[in-house]
Amino acid sequence: MREWWSKLRRTLAGRRGLTDDLAEEIESNLHLAAEDHQARGMESDQARAAARRRFGNPTLIGEKARDTWTFPRFESFLQDLRYGARSIRKAPGYSLVVIVTLALGIGANSAIFSVVDTVLLKPLPYPSAERLVYLAETHAKAEGISVTWGNYRAWRKYNHSFEDMAGFQFDHLTLTGRDEPLFTTAGEVTSGFFALVGAKPLLGRVFTDEDDRAGANQTVVLDYDFWTTKLGGDSKILDTALALNGRSYHVIGVLAPGLRFFPRAVDYYLPLGLFRRDSTPRDKHGSMRVLARLRPGITLSAARTDLDQILQRLAQEDPGPENDHRAYARFLADTKTEDVRPALWMLMGAVGLILLIACSNVANLVLARSATRAREIAIRTAIGAGKGRLVRQVLTENLLISAIGGALGLFLAQWSMRVLLLMAPRGIPRLQETALDFRVLLFTAALSILTGLLVGLAPVFTAGKVDLTKALNAGGRSGTDTKRARSFRNVLVVAEITITVVLAFSSGLLLRSLMTAQNTNPGFDPSHVLALELVLPSSSYKDPQSVQNFYDRLLQDLRTLPGAKEVGAVYCPPSAGDCGDWWYSIIGQPVPAKSDVPLSLFNIANPEYFETMGIPLKEGRVFTAADRQGAPQVAIVNEVIARRWFPKESAVGHSIKFGGPYQEGPIYEIVGVVGNVSQEGLDAQPMPEIYQPFAQRPSEAMVAMIRTSGAPNALAPTVRRIVASLDHNLPIQSLRSFEKRVAATLDRRRFSTMLLATFAGLALLLSAVGVYGLLNYWVTAREEEIAIRLALGASRETILRWAGWQASQLLIAGIALGVLAGWGASHWLDTLVFGISARDATMMIAATLAVIAIAALAAAVPLTRATRINAAVKLQRA
Amino acid sequence: MSTVDNLSERLEFLQGTLEVLILRSLQIGPNHAYGIGQFIEHNSDSEFLVDNGSLYPALQRLLQREWIASQWKVSPNSRRAKYYRLTPLGRKQLTVATTKWQRFVEAMGRVLAPKGQSNA
Repeated sequence: MREWWSKLRRTLAGRRGLTDDLAEEIESNLHLAAEDHQARGMESDQARAAARRRFGNPTLIGEKARDTWTFPRFESFLQDLRYGARSIRKAPGYSLVVIVTLALGIGANSAIFSVVDTVLLKPLPYPSAERLVYLAETHAKAEGISVTWGNYRAWRKYNHSFEDMAGFQFDHLTLTGRDEPLFTTAGEVTSGFFALVGAKPLLGRVFTDEDDRAGANQTVVLDYDFWTTKLGGDSKILDTALALNGRSYHVIGVLAPGLRFFPRAVDYYLPLGLFRRDSTPRDKHGSMRVLARLRPGITLSAARTDLDQILQRLAQEDPGPENDHRAYARFLADTKTEDVRPALWMLMGAVGLILLIACSNVANLVLARSATRAREIAIRTAIGAGKGRLVRQVLTENLLISAIGGALGLFLAQWSMRVLLLMAPRGIPRLQETALDFRVLLFTAALSILTGLLVGLAPVFTAGKVDLTKALNAGGRSGTDTKRARSFRNVLVVAEITITVVLAFSSGLLLRSLMTAQNTNPGFDPSHVLALELVLPSSSYKDPQSVQNFYDRLLQDLRTLPGAKEVGAVYCPPSAGDCGDWWYSIIGQPVPAKSDVPLSLFNIANPEYFETMGIPLKEGRVFTAADRQGAPQVAIVNEVIARRWFPKESAVGHSIKFGGPYQEGPIYEIVGVVGNVSQEGLDAQPMPEIYQPFAQRPSEAMVAMIRTSGAPNALAPTVRRIVASLDHNLPIQSLRSFEKRVAATLDRRRFSTMLLATFAGLALLLSAVGVYGLLNYWVTAREEEIAIRLALGASRETILRWAGWQASQLLIAGIALGVLAGWGASHWLDTLVFGISARDATMMIAATLAVIAIAALAAAVPLTRATRINAAVKLQRA
Repeated sequence: MSTVDNLSERLEFLQGTLEVLILRSLQIGPNHAYGIGQFIEHNSDSEFLVDNGSLYPALQRLLQREWIASQWKVSPNSRRAKYYRLTPLGRKQLTVATTKWQRFVEAMGRVLAPKGQSNA
């Protein structure tokens, strides 16, 4: 304590006086010693020399004595920092290259990490979100299908694994009784839902079990956003009623803002139990899934077994067609991000590799520089610097430079993230919440320190023992250019080339996939089509006939529009995804085992749909007006089905059974075969698909497709008027040009591909810098040798071949390893590649050639320099 | 380099010993750094060699603890030198340290003594 106080006083008073005082004291003591020696009979010169020799290094001793007054670690750190800053300024070219390289590497990592962190790593914004589980049913043919009400009730009642459970689904209802009919989205949930997702009411209350049962009063809880934007945010809304699909619902509460659970924005919540009868058969499926919170300590598989046992018991007590159904359970966090996870991890991997390249570039630069600084270090060792002290100083210097690089990288990340979010496709959960927050800062700081250490330790590892005399005498760089350092540098460049080949190969694969997907014939002509999406509310359109009448009149009116060439209607338009699949079987074919019953997409179309969309008719005929209610039931299949079952003959005339051989279902006659249509997006394999005529299966939800002669959107206002003239209470779900919608199915692929391609470009650039740097150093270190060879009669060609061979060895090694690594890693890309194999040899060759070209370009400069060395001048100087 | 003193044959200072020895050397009166070194070497029959790299920092540490004080004075052969003297605090510390060291030495001696003698 007293010691600290003395030191502090001294520090504040300044230390200059102390240094002088100590120097004087040492000097006087040297004299005292010399006099002592003299008194014992030495000559005065001898005595002084003896005293000095006996005393030791006065400067070092003075410094050590003075240092007792300081806080040495901290002060030497400050000193190293100052020294580091000075040496950064002293070599601005070198420092700039190092800082920019690190900034690129660290910036790319921070940007991608912030996205990965937000989308994949951060817990979902619900209480104990890590224990939230998504439950559904599953059987041999399909995973994750809806949970029936009966099964849900049994699960909730008998399970031992979950704290609570809630069913949820969404639905579209029309809100009337206000200015304009409003197409709204309802979240239909059971009463436990709000507690599971941690939502609290801002006004009023949420559902209780009393509200959530058949026969209860019809109640509704409003979402905050809907309440403020559409209902004026009036607190008097409580106890009023909303007319939804023509029925009146009592408003009992408004949620506090911020609940986001459903994939699309939900306007209000309705109690799910209100629409369910407990007597409903156990195999009656809707679209309900179940959210549940695991009890602490219960594993997912244990919970699954628990639910399976309940289903098995039910199968014994109440056997039915779904006895083989089992529970599907996954962590909610996984289900929300599974389709973006592979691409995001791939990008994270790519930027990680880029940082490795950046690090090895910088390590090489640091090594080259530390070789030229060998003399400086030798001198400092000679005058008494300890090895540990020197290492600490080199490390501090590198940490400083990597910290600057990291800070710059953070700016880069901030900037590139803004661009990233602007370009990003819609629908990636939570992506727009990405920000440079504390976690990203921490990540960047850790990364900067790590790279600083990695890079700074390179010369320490390779230095081995420094031979002072040699280093001082050599006066140049050969002093520390040990064999170890040389091979270490070579290894770094080989690693860079390896990584670059891998990145070039992967991005090449994805680019080819994107191009393939873009050029895929979608099976229809998406240009000049205006799509009008409608859902008729069942309250006003109670029977199939009224539905059919409406659409007949609508299509007729649309056809009269000038500018509308053809008009068709379909239930599930191309690229809308999976609108529902079901089992089927072909009459007359061998009956498949129960677990092998095939599935097909089922779609509904009117006679003009195929012609309007340009979907080619391959066999038979399209629907006609004769295929109406009461006429024989007919269907059109796509080529996938036709080729699968009738590879040699025509499918027309055969019959298809809806539901497969193991359950009741209508039988349709196949009247035509049409071309495949990419139903799930341009980069998806075509699925089996069966069309039924609209007249025989009228659907409230249809999309009218209008082929226009001019720009599709020009027709939009007229189309709106026509809809309003038919039913002014009918909201339009969407009305837009179809082409954009089809292209949008590739948005995500385009996004991740472009990012990866950018990173591959960055990798190419960085490794070119690496190859250049290494070779340049190699030539510089051998200028004299080259000059001697030239003087002894070697031709410039010989020199070029010699130097070129050095570069080629590294390139060959790097490419060989890169091809192996790329080949080995390619299976990770399987899910991301489309239309080509992940082991595409052509792409590997192209990637290799690109890397060779860039490396050759980078090597050309130093190689040319090697051949231009003027032997006479160089040798004279040496 | 010539080796005037063969360091390996001398005793090394244990942690904290040098400081006690400095205090002891000042007990007989103020002295300068060179004198202190000489005193320790003489009185240890040259078993201890005082390294200036340890002596000077040790003096500074004692100053910081205020166990000694320093003053520039003129030596008997009329040379300016920095003299150190014990402070009352240092005197007290010396007594404490001496007792401790004696106990330490005795204990070491007992343990290291040939077996059988101590219990005989």
